[in-house]
Formats: sequence, C-alpha cells, structure tokens
Amino acid sequence: MNLPNYFFADLPAEASLSPMMILDACHALRRNRDRFLSERSTAQMVRLVARLAENWLEPDFPFRKHLLAESPNGTGFSRETMASGLDALFKSITIESLTGLIRQELGDDAAMDEFRGGETPGKRAIALGPGLMVHVTAGNIPTPGIVSLVHGLLLKSAQFVKCSSEHPLALRLFAHSLYDADPKLGACLELAAWKGGGHPCESPLFGEADVVTATGNDETVESIRRVVPSRTRFVSHGHKVSFAYLTKDALSGYKTRRWTEGAAADVAAWDQQGCLSPHVFYVQGGGETSAEQFAEMLAGQLTKLEQLQPRAPLTIQESAAIATRRSFYEVRASHSGDTKHWRSHESTAWTVVYENDPQFQFSCLNRFVYVKPVADLHDLLKHAELVRDKVSAVGIAALDDEARPLTRELARWGVSRVCRVGAMQSPPLTWRRDGRPVFADLLWWCDWESAS
Amino acid sequence: MRTPRSDSLPEAGAKLREFIRDSMTASALPTSTPCLDPELVSFFDSFALDLFRLQFEANPVYRSFCEARRSVPSQIGHWSQIPFLPVVAFKESICTALPESDRLREFRSSGTTTQARSRHFHSGLSLESYECSLLPWFNRHLMPDLAPWRGRLFGGPLEPPDFLFLTPPPARCPNSSLAHMFEVVRREHAPASNPFHGTFTRDGAWSLNTAAIESVLRQAVDFARPLCVLGTAFSFVELSDHLVQSGKTVVLPSGSRALETGGYKGRSRSLSKTALHSLINHALGIRLDHIVSEYGMSELSSQAYDHPIPTTAMEDSNSPEIVKPPPRTFHFPPWTRIRIVSPENEREMPPGEVGVLQVLDMANIFSVCALQTEDLAASLGHGFELHGRASSSEPRGCSLNQT
Repeated sequence: MNLPNYFFADLPAEASLSPMMILDACHALRRNRDRFLSERSTAQMVRLVARLAENWLEPDFPFRKHLLAESPNGTGFSRETMASGLDALFKSITIESLTGLIRQELGDDAAMDEFRGGETPGKRAIALGPGLMVHVTAGNIPTPGIVSLVHGLLLKSAQFVKCSSEHPLALRLFAHSLYDADPKLGACLELAAWKGGGHPCESPLFGEADVVTATGNDETVESIRRVVPSRTRFVSHGHKVSFAYLTKDALSGYKTRRWTEGAAADVAAWDQQGCLSPHVFYVQGGGETSAEQFAEMLAGQLTKLEQLQPRAPLTIQESAAIATRRSFYEVRASHSGDTKHWRSHESTAWTVVYENDPQFQFSCLNRFVYVKPVADLHDLLKHAELVRDKVSAVGIAALDDEARPLTRELARWGVSRVCRVGAMQSPPLTWRRDGRPVFADLLWWCDWESAS
Repeated sequence: MRTPRSDSLPEAGAKLREFIRDSMTASALPTSTPCLDPELVSFFDSFALDLFRLQFEANPVYRSFCEARRSVPSQIGHWSQIPFLPVVAFKESICTALPESDRLREFRSSGTTTQARSRHFHSGLSLESYECSLLPWFNRHLMPDLAPWRGRLFGGPLEPPDFLFLTPPPARCPNSSLAHMFEVVRREHAPASNPFHGTFTRDGAWSLNTAAIESVLRQAVDFARPLCVLGTAFSFVELSDHLVQSGKTVVLPSGSRALETGGYKGRSRSLSKTALHSLINHALGIRLDHIVSEYGMSELSSQAYDHPIPTTAMEDSNSPEIVKPPPRTFHFPPWTRIRIVSPENEREMPPGEVGVLQVLDMANIFSVCALQTEDLAASLGHGFELHGRASSSEPRGCSLNQT
C-alpha cells in the first residue's frame, strides 16, 4: 500500500518543515473546518467514527492490513500484539459508547448541535468545540493518539497532531483511513512528526491552537507547557504507573486460572509500555494461592502468551536493561529465599520476579513484572505511598461483594480508575484519564437566558 | 613453565605473578596484541579452571550463584563456561573469599548517596596481585619509553616524567581503587613526591586544588619537565574549564601525557571522549596521541587502556613487527579474557556487534575472577570499544548491603 502525501507526516524523513508551513497549514485547517465540519450534526460524526472503528476491526481493511504487515519494524510491536491492541481499542468505539461518552460529558447528545434546555427554566445552552486542537502524542503506544483524534472529531474541531518521531505509522494510517472515508474531514486534519523539544515549529503551532493536549513523560509535558500561550487551554497527561491487587478469595479454585490469564494479558498488552500496564501484582496472603504460587502460574501464562503474542524485538539498550535487572534478582535469589524469579528461556521476552518485600517497585517494562504478597489493601497502599500521585489504574481481582469496599478505599487514596485484572489496557471510551473530564473542559458553552 | 595445580588462593596468587611475568616477556613489544603463545594459552586455560574451583569453594556468595545456575566446577571444561557473576553482587553482598580478619582494605564504587556501592575487599596478598597486574600494563601504555626492552634496544631507559594526580591523596579516600592505583604508580615512578592535588567539596565530592595544580603546571613548563597527568574525566573537565576561563592554559613540554578514566556521574558537564581529549589538548597542550583512556572498575584488579602512547623510536621505525593498534580500542592485559554477550541469551556476539561486557580477570584472586559488567561493548580486533551503560540496571530502593 502506497500512502499518498496527504499529511506532513507522509513526507520523507529528510523533508524539513518551516514555521511558515505550519502557520499556513493551521489557517487552512481552520478554513476547512468552517466549510466542512462545523455544521455537521453530532449524530453524523458518531456514525462516521463508529463505522470507521468497525472497519478497523475487519481483517481485510487495507489500512489495518498495512499496519499489521509493517509490524514490528514500523510500529515497535509484534504483529499479534498490535492486532490485539487494535481490537481492544476499536471494539470500544461504537455508536453506543460514543453517544454514552457525549452524555457523560455534556449530559445531552445534541448539546453541540443546538441550544438545549436544562434544569434552569428559560435558560438554554450550546456547547462549541475548539476551532483548532493540537495534540502532542507520545511514541510509546498508539491508542491515546487515536482516541484524542476521536475526541476531536466528536467536538467537530480541526486537528493538528504532532506525532512522536518514533513509530508514527499507526496514527498516520488511522488519519489516512479517515481521509479515505471522508476526504472533507481529512482536510480538517494534519499530522506531522518531528523530534520534540525546542523544534522551531512548536511555538507557532501552539500559538495557533485553541486547545493543546500533550501526553508524554513529565519533562516533555513540562517543556510543552512552557511554550503554550497562557490563553490557550492546555491538557496534559504525564508519566503514570499502574498495579493490581488480587484478593485471597478471588484466587481460589477454578477462578485462579482465569485471573492469571487476565494478569498475563495485562502484562503482554502493548508490551507493558502504557501507563495502564501493571508494574506489580499484589497478592493477598492467607489464601489458597500464595503470591509465590501466583508468580509461578503467571510465568506459565506468559510463556504461553509469548507463543501467541510475542513481544517485539528490543534495542540492545532495552534488552540490556532487562538483562542487568534480571542479574540483580538472580544474585539475590541465589542467597535469599525471599526472592524468586522466572524468566523466558534464551530471551528477555518475559520475566516474573517474586519478592517478599511489598515495597512498590518500578518495572523496567517490556514484560517484566513483580509479584509481591500483602496482608490486605491497607497494607498494599502503605507500601505504594511512593507512587501515590502517579497511579493511573489499579486492576483488582476480587469477589463481587469485595469489589465495592476495595474500590472505595482506592478512590479515597487517589486512584482514578479501578478495573478488573485482565482489562487494565482496554479502558472504555468513557475513561476519565487521570480523573479529569474526557473533553468537557475543552468546550466553550454559550448560555442563552431567553425570556421565561 | 607449566606448574602444578594450585591448591589454595595464595598459591594461585603466586601462579598469577609467574604468568604475568612470562606473558609480558613473551609479548615484549608495547602493543596490546594478546599473547598467542600456545603454551601460555594452555597455561591460562588450566589456571582459569583452577581459580574458578578455588573461588567456588572459598566464596559463599559466588558458590550460591553457581549452584543456582547449576554450573559447578566438575561441569566446567573451558574458561568461557565459567559463570560470570554480575557485578551487582558486590553491592548486594559481601562477595569475597577473604576471612573477615584478612579484609584490610575495601574499594568501593563511586555513586550517588542514594545508590548502593560495590564493596571489593582486599588483603595484603590480594593487593599484591592487584599491584602486580596494574604496573606492567600501565607502564606498557603510559610509560613505553621507560620499558626495559627500550633500554635493551635503544641504550637505556629514559628519565620518568613528573606526575600530577587529580584525585585526593589515597589516605583521604581509602575506599577509592583509583586513588590506590595512582598511589601504586607514584610509589613505582615518583616515590619522593606528593603529586596528589585533588581535594573535596563541602558535600564530600572530589574537587581540585587549582592553585597547587597551576603551580605544578608552571614548574613543568619553566623547567621543561614532561608531566604525566592522571585523573577522572570529570576532574579533567573541571581543570580544563578552569584554565580556559582564567586564561591560564599551558603547553606542557614534549613527552607529557595524560590518563583519563571513568564517566561524569553528574559532577561536571559531560563530554564525548573526542571532545574531552580536545579540551585536554587545548588546556594542557598534551598531544592527542599522548592522552590515554583507561577502563577499570573497583570490582576488578586489572585495567584496560585504549592505546599505548607512541614513542619516537616506534614512530620512526619501519619495522613490520611494530603495528599500531587501531585508535581508541580498549585492551585488557594477557591475564584476562573478555566476552561480549547478547543480553537476550548470554551467547557471544559476533565481532563488531554490541553486547554486555564480561571480563575474566585472573588478578581477582580473592574475590571472583569472572565478572559480568553493566557496560555495553563491541569487540574490535583483539580489543573492544565501549557503547555506554545498560540503563535501569538496578531497581530503585534495592540498595541493600546484606551479609
């Protein structure tokens, strides 16, 4: 498949962009939005996006085929990992979920189409999406960028996506599929890829935007914040980590195997690169399955999963990071019964480290995970204090009647997303990332106080 | 020269000294070509297996590691099969074959206050092995113009240069293997002088006594005495920046030389090796080919150097036996071996490909001779070039020193 040069990101790597080109593109995007996008109804946009998501689930959809064919070199993930990630994402994008998202955010599916009445008699209001949104996306996994584009479509905004210079292919192909489905919408979209941080195009780009969203590590996000003008709305998502808690009652009988499969799927999804990927599985002690037994079973599942959904080849630095981390635990395990480790044979494909010490530990990622015992959730949270304000999600494996009090305790502690183990890397479209509204705070409302 | 099997570590130490003497004699020219004498190779191979067996028996941490790998002496038939212990073991445990009463010195790796430091213990005998390994290889790279073979061939050794060490005196940093290394060099080449001009900042970091150093530099220039300056990369940056900024750069007399080692660890601005050498050249007037990089670590007893400084005789010689090594390729001495292995499966990497550096250092008699470093390297000819460090090598908060 030869992709036409619709976007800056399609140009050869050696093509350089100038601030003037960026300004011209932003002006064209705004004009196209006024002509082709702003008058469309929300229902039309919902149908279009849902249809596109359906297409992406079709094995023969040319853009999907092309993306999978280019994995892992073009995407940084094995074909199977990419396919699994795409499936989880696009299954979550349906007419129902899109409409549900708009209702969750605005309370009314037509709030962006016409003045609608609310609780106050005589008052009507309409929500207007930003004229031009700029998204700065991270290079680790492609889903947040695609979801940001979907949000922008629902908001009927022109959008400029600054992709990471590493692996922009998934976003490019999604943008091309949109262009293919509706070229007028495609004309309201621009993509460019450059190495972030002080690029001469960044300041003019942010200066043109009504809203800038940014995802990346804390330093990247902070450096963008400094360049975005104060009048421009800025929404950022910095570095976050996730972990999981499995209760002793959940890990009993036949259910143990199901939770173990779920845990392995959470580790394997996007090769543990996302902020929703678990670093540690905490296992409640005193039950049928000890943390150490769970670690061993998890290792077994990761072995199986490696056959079905292999981890991507790594750079020598990534691989060496795992090897040296493994060495550390190998040395420790050789003289202490409090540490055990399981590892893939002849590769760094996966590693499970069991440690009796419940202190939260950052994984070096790429399917390297810790299993630690705790007495209960209270004990766990005491040992995760280090990451208290950095937690994106907590997966739980618990009986139905345990889940509510556990979630309440997690919410009070500051966790913004609690889900079951096995679903950590497939959040619903309505996921309020970092506990913030999905897009409610990107809109402008016009209140009309008509005569009662 | 074949000797009977060693039955104790002190015997192995004696055997090491014999091997060092013989291998240095066998390759008398100041090149880093490893000794290929078949008898020496075979001696090395059996010595390595002997030393492995003795260390397995005497070092409990290493023994546990080998047993966990199911690699015990009866199963090992070649040095390359000896289990290479990750250097993190020196942070994690007391990794030594020395009884507590014999642990006279302890070399620690440099690091920040939040990082655990490696602890490498030495006794009088193990320091002897260290010094016995250090001097011939140091001399061959930094002092080739003083070597006995030169005396034989060209009519007597030259006078040694004066020395300037950019570390604090060893008595003030007894846990620094680098300061000890410099002290051994001082005892050998400048026993009457006190050339240590490093000092400490308030927070305990190494710094420089720039006034004293300026005076040493001035004297070297005034009396036309070549100077050998030795220090860490960051101390050279600090010194060079100071000289440049204060307008006090010098051109040291011909024959002056420098040895720089180590990374920066945030203590000064970080420069590439090429930029560092240009800076030293600019600030001190030392020829680029007289600036030698060293690779060493507190867990080892031998060092690698990236090239020997050329001697005039060698430069002028047309002798086909005298081949210059490729520039800036590190070489360990003949009583070591290196392997560069894939981090994926520990198999040896093809020449030129980057992997994790493992060193078999026979001078590490009383700890562990087979060590896996956290450095990335690629083999090049008979040597290797460094490709940085494996990141994320140590989990956060695991900085324990367990016994």
